[in-house]
Amino acid sequence: MPVQGIKAVTTARNGVGAFILQCKRLDFHYCDWAGSSRGMVAFLKHKLPAIAKENPQIEIRVSPRPHRHPVIKGQYINGREKAICVRNLEPEQIVNKVSLLKEASGEKLKRIKKPVSSINESVRGIWSPFHGEYKGI
Amino acid sequence: MKRLQLLRWSSSALSARARAGVRLQQNIYRGARYQTTVSPAAQSENDQLADEQTFPPHFSSNPQQSKYALPSPPVEAARESAKLAALHARLYLPSRLPLETLARSLVDASADPNPNFNNESLATLGHDLLTYYTSEHLLCTYPRLPLTVIFAAMYAYVGPKTLTAMAREWGVDWAAAPGGEVDPGLLQFQRLLPGTELNSEGATMRPNAHQKSWRKSVTSRIVYDNEYGEQSTTQSLADAQGAQGGVSFERANATFVRALMGSIYLHAGRPAAKRFFEQHFLSRHLNISELFNFSQPARDLSRLCARENFEPPVAKIISETGRKSRHPVFIVGIFSGKDKLGEGSGASLLEARSRAAVAALKGWYLYSPLNVRVPSSTEEEGAAPWKPVHVDLGEVIV
Repeated sequence: MPVQGIKAVTTARNGVGAFILQCKRLDFHYCDWAGSSRGMVAFLKHKLPAIAKENPQIEIRVSPRPHRHPVIKGQYINGREKAICVRNLEPEQIVNKVSLLKEASGEKLKRIKKPVSSINESVRGIWSPFHGEYKGI
Repeated sequence: MKRLQLLRWSSSALSARARAGVRLQQNIYRGARYQTTVSPAAQSENDQLADEQTFPPHFSSNPQQSKYALPSPPVEAARESAKLAALHARLYLPSRLPLETLARSLVDASADPNPNFNNESLATLGHDLLTYYTSEHLLCTYPRLPLTVIFAAMYAYVGPKTLTAMAREWGVDWAAAPGGEVDPGLLQFQRLLPGTELNSEGATMRPNAHQKSWRKSVTSRIVYDNEYGEQSTTQSLADAQGAQGGVSFERANATFVRALMGSIYLHAGRPAAKRFFEQHFLSRHLNISELFNFSQPARDLSRLCARENFEPPVAKIISETGRKSRHPVFIVGIFSGKDKLGEGSGASLLEARSRAAVAALKGWYLYSPLNVRVPSSTEEEGAAPWKPVHVDLGEVIV
């Protein structure tokens, strides 16, 4: 057998072909009685239908959680969850929190030091001391 | 990689008319034998293929009570599932693909044996489409790839492992157990029982298949084995289903992705299916030069040069350092006459030479013509006439 094939699996590059939004579900928990949920209740009544219409790729669940502060939880494709407590927030502030959860990748936050990261090898190549003419000093 | 006639196949997957066919159509046979809505003529043909099986009819009169009796969610539940609508939107599926079909493609044959409600026929069509598009892409883009590497690349693009990873990356969740009351946005399949033998080998047409120690030539793998150059296991798993009633997680996910491809083709047409393939499958990263495993590259290269009437390859040291030190480095080039075919570095002369030979062979095998077109691109309306692509002699035979 002159040459054998090695089994491999292709790696995903989200956004190169199709883009899959990583946030797959948003859970909204609120309380009907408590004052800290006042902004959340107004948000659910007036803002949420438009947001749900804009983002059909996110499953949205609304459920009461009596005697607790209001919480938004985002479920992500990588299996992680992000929760934000929105007590005493105005509806406009909650909209910002929702867009934060929507745009998150679900990964843990980490500091990115290099501006570009790529799986392609460098076009220029790596400098080699063994090639090229000898330059006398 | 035979020329496939997809339009005819899609009709057979829908109406389940059986035809005397080749190895690739054996799935259609299995789907066809359960059908009850075929014409009498086709029915009589089917009787010869396999004995009839009857299934309890789906109830729809009283959904609240009968929901728990159903093996898979009722059709009308698809419109009420938020998960299903979200999945449809997340994948940017065409609006012509209804939610009901998406729900059907999530039901495995192990969950619902009724072929009118499971994804088996869709998966058969989708599998044929996926392998056809992938193989034409590979053969036209890299006309000189050895066949074993083509098998490996096919496995990497549309193999079950990749399809499973894709289903996970699409955010498809699975139900713990199938049933009529389950959300139709979840993948439904019957789990394998613990301790089930997974790698049971199925029936094959290969003569002397019981001789495990005999060498399998590449040519025989084209004829007898599946598109990944492996012995096909579909038949054996179907038998296992009958006995134990379950499929592996990987197989259920792969079947779902194939069924989705088939349903896009049926509902939205060929251009949409091809776009979906390019965006989700071809856009994934695969470095084909890492799929080669040479055993004797220098010998292969000399055979290749003899076949192509090049001058015999000669290895020459281009540069070296520290020959007598603990860490010597040699840069060796392989020359055919005045042309440098390849170059490699290593800690010994032999290592550097074999790396140079590997580089030369990869340079030959990974040749890719510019502005390559695939045969299916001529199927679009107003497409330019087909110009033949480069067809190579093939790999060297040692």
